[in-house]
Amino acid sequence: MTPHRRPGPTGLPAWLVQRTSAVYMLLFLVALLAFFGWHPLHSYAEWKRWVAHPAISLALALFFAALLAHMWVGLRDVLLDYARPAGLRRALLVLVALGLCTGAASMAWLLALQHV
Amino acid sequence: MKFSISRYNPDTDEKPYLQDYEVDILPSDRMLLDVLLRIKEQDPTLSMRKSCREGVCGSDAMNINGRNGLACITRVRDLKEPVVLRPLPSFPIVRDLIVDMTNFFKQYHSIKPYLVNDQPPPEKERLQSPADREKLNGAYECILCACCSSQCPSFWWNPDKFVGPAGLIQAYRFIFDSRDTTTKERLEDLDGAYRLFRCRTIMNCSEVCPKGLEPSHAIEMIRLSMLKDPGDSGTLPTHSVSPVRK
Repeated sequence: MTPHRRPGPTGLPAWLVQRTSAVYMLLFLVALLAFFGWHPLHSYAEWKRWVAHPAISLALALFFAALLAHMWVGLRDVLLDYARPAGLRRALLVLVALGLCTGAASMAWLLALQHV
Repeated sequence: MKFSISRYNPDTDEKPYLQDYEVDILPSDRMLLDVLLRIKEQDPTLSMRKSCREGVCGSDAMNINGRNGLACITRVRDLKEPVVLRPLPSFPIVRDLIVDMTNFFKQYHSIKPYLVNDQPPPEKERLQSPADREKLNGAYECILCACCSSQCPSFWWNPDKFVGPAGLIQAYRFIFDSRDTTTKERLEDLDGAYRLFRCRTIMNCSEVCPKGLEPSHAIEMIRLSMLKDPGDSGTLPTHSVSPVRK
């Protein structure tokens, strides 16, 4: 039997990304809800201080990275299933990728602003 | 009892249509196939496949009141009227309830459904421990009736690229066979976005399997074995199949 890797979208890596990102987002959201239950934040200044804490900034950055990666795999799968013909599918995939990259850049900028 | 049966003759019909039949159920009519054969006596133009009449050959797979199943092991008295019979969804129709299985078997053959072992064959046979043999339970019983693949939305959208649940439970059967020496190659062959990973775990396959097999579990086991050596994975689960249908 001759092994042959197919060109094109990945299978196992995308599946792993989708599942690990889902686990992280679930844990993060549960932790977030628990935290706000114990320590509600009442003012903009309190929120700003909270987000600027290095551990929170890192956790938030990881959360948005997980969210965008999860969205990419999910939307990619929808387009692989339904978008025809191949040219339209490729164009839509590029649009989704651009949209998600824009989202990533704006999230990174917002988080960076907390530290200047 | 009222029946609405999908009819299509490619020579005369533009598209399939439902034809109504009314049949008296006799005491000897136990399964849906018994009644279908009597309808065929009334109307010899009605076409369908059947062979063993006891749920072993898988020939008479069809869509019964919206759900795939085998006519020969579906109790007719439990069906809701009118009983709507259609050919297996998404497969090209040859005539009436007969579908073209070419692509289905092409996908099945693509997983190389045979033992590959490059070691010199022993004098008598390749032995297996009882534990290794156990791993094939829940997969080898597949009769390739296509009820699962035909009810799988992922197979509807990509029948040419996604192997489908029937092919994948057969792939599992050879990946987990201790006598096969090409496990790595088989797993590599299934990687990529389409052949295995189009499965979205909808689980229609396990729901409709007339033999009570669970292709969705086999698919998950294949995915996990791509990550790590499955070791002693035990046997695939199966579930009982009630002939009671609505």
